[in-house]
Amino acid sequence: MNINLNKSGISLLNALSNHSELIMQAYFSGSVNESEYSPNIIQSLIDLKVLWRPDSDVQLRLRPSLRTLLGESLQDESNRQIDANIGNLLATLTTQAEHYKEALAHQKYHESQAYLADLTEHVYTLTETLATNVRLLWSRISNEFGYVSSVDSKIRENELAQSQVTDMLNQLSMFHFDVLSQLAGSNRELRHLLVITLQSAFATSAQELSLVQSKLLELLGRFREFKGRTRLLKGFMLHMEQKPDFIPVNYSAQTQVPNLFNRADRIIKGAAPDVHNMEQEFELTSLVDNLRSVNRWWQTNANRAVANPLVIEEESSVSLEEDLLKDAVENYFCEVIDSGKNTRALDYYTKHNLDFDQEVWIYQVLGAFQGLPDSERQYFDIDLEGIPHQTYTGNFIIQDIELGLR
Amino acid sequence: MITEQGRVLELLLSGQFVCTTIDEDAFRYLQSSANRELVEQQLNVLNRHLSSAADGEVYFCSYQSIGDAERKILATQFNDISSHLLPLIEWLLLVQEAMGTDIPLTQGTLIRLQELQTVVEDTPAYAEQLGKISRYAMFGSKANELDSQLKLIFKRLVELGYLVRPNMDKQIYCATGKIDYLFDVLKFIDETENLSLAERADDSISQSSLI
Repeated sequence: MNINLNKSGISLLNALSNHSELIMQAYFSGSVNESEYSPNIIQSLIDLKVLWRPDSDVQLRLRPSLRTLLGESLQDESNRQIDANIGNLLATLTTQAEHYKEALAHQKYHESQAYLADLTEHVYTLTETLATNVRLLWSRISNEFGYVSSVDSKIRENELAQSQVTDMLNQLSMFHFDVLSQLAGSNRELRHLLVITLQSAFATSAQELSLVQSKLLELLGRFREFKGRTRLLKGFMLHMEQKPDFIPVNYSAQTQVPNLFNRADRIIKGAAPDVHNMEQEFELTSLVDNLRSVNRWWQTNANRAVANPLVIEEESSVSLEEDLLKDAVENYFCEVIDSGKNTRALDYYTKHNLDFDQEVWIYQVLGAFQGLPDSERQYFDIDLEGIPHQTYTGNFIIQDIELGLR
Repeated sequence: MITEQGRVLELLLSGQFVCTTIDEDAFRYLQSSANRELVEQQLNVLNRHLSSAADGEVYFCSYQSIGDAERKILATQFNDISSHLLPLIEWLLLVQEAMGTDIPLTQGTLIRLQELQTVVEDTPAYAEQLGKISRYAMFGSKANELDSQLKLIFKRLVELGYLVRPNMDKQIYCATGKIDYLFDVLKFIDETENLSLAERADDSISQSSLI
């Protein structure tokens, strides 16, 4: 690994990420507005060969290679450049395969490994190029050249794409697998790269391209049809402007009526009975008598509203018990008010032989007191009796409550 | 229970143009030649036979033999269609230009009334054209507001079967096969009367570019 190359590569990538906004602006608008950025940044990007100036009085632009990279990675629809220099790549492959074989023959294994790595890289580049080109063509077909609006420009785009397909097919014919397999000889790695990998890529793209070609022709036909129709409409308008009294010959009067104008009148028409006609009353009532409900299959399929069976359940008695407790507490409060004496909760409890749990009782009294509205609570006073916990300070165990009037 | 064949017959006999937009199942049923023969036999009983237009995209029902009564009906029909021709063509051009797609309407094209209305409202030339179209006898609008003119035109086109409105809650319309039939009619008139409409359109374009 070349350390210098590595370092400058990283600094280039960093520069790209630091100035990503500038680069994307340049990608979309085509050029860089130099007044918006500091000259230092611009100069460093020029030095890194990200931007370039095609002519001295022209604005800065993105380098084509960077533009291609962005177009391909973003799958931008407007990207319609197809790189089909397959012949060149194939020649490189042949040369490198020769290098590799020579290195093997001289038993320079290290060198041969480097050549093989290079060769692999190139083979994959080639297959990737083929796949990308086909994908590009398909993406343009699938949105019907949506990036241009008029039908005429769509037709031109279609013609461009067709010429590109022809180009690619010509380039594909440069694959001579007999030569490649001879070159690979008996070497397993070479055979795998040059014959198997390339052949499968070749087969897929050739097949796809023939599909693309037929689809393009179909689209072209459709565009022409659109154009023909538009011309027909416009032509008719012009004709009517020149001859406003134009009326086509009545074709229905000819002995042989053209099929297009032979349209049968409807037999089934919308109808409604006249219920106010007394003469028809008898027929109508007999018809109504004979009406049957017909079960159509789609009606049976429809979900009918089903009434839920009415189930009578006994009310649960839980709330009643709660009410008992509440009532008792209320009575206790009332007694305090009536007697006007301070009364202990537990005294009241034993006096009335209540059968709740003592703790629940006290808790409920406390709860009822806290639950009173402020205006009512101020008439009562409450005293808590109890002892602090023996071990844990700060805990107070309530044993009884004394309630009185203020 | 009504069979698929019965349903198709009903559609045809009620004067519908059967296409994929109007009834996809019926259209697919008619695409098989065996089914077509069955339907044809049934129609023959009623002095009718199955016809198709627009490269087999639309099926409709015609008379098998034409007597005086049939000829009368055909004559009124023809009068209708020839009087509808100009308003419809002006409308088609307006929609095509206003939607900015440069693609003529064809079966299945969706028209969003809201979008069309916005464009027409913003462009005085289109608004004027729309007013002119709406006053043809075919639409017979007396309204001055663009909104009601447009709604009336679309309502009338749905009545005449050129458009359908798939969802009654939405102002989205879909062109039917009858539009393609209309193009066929236009093509036929162009050919039989030697109007050479397409050449005329081309000439006007090249002349305007000369100016």
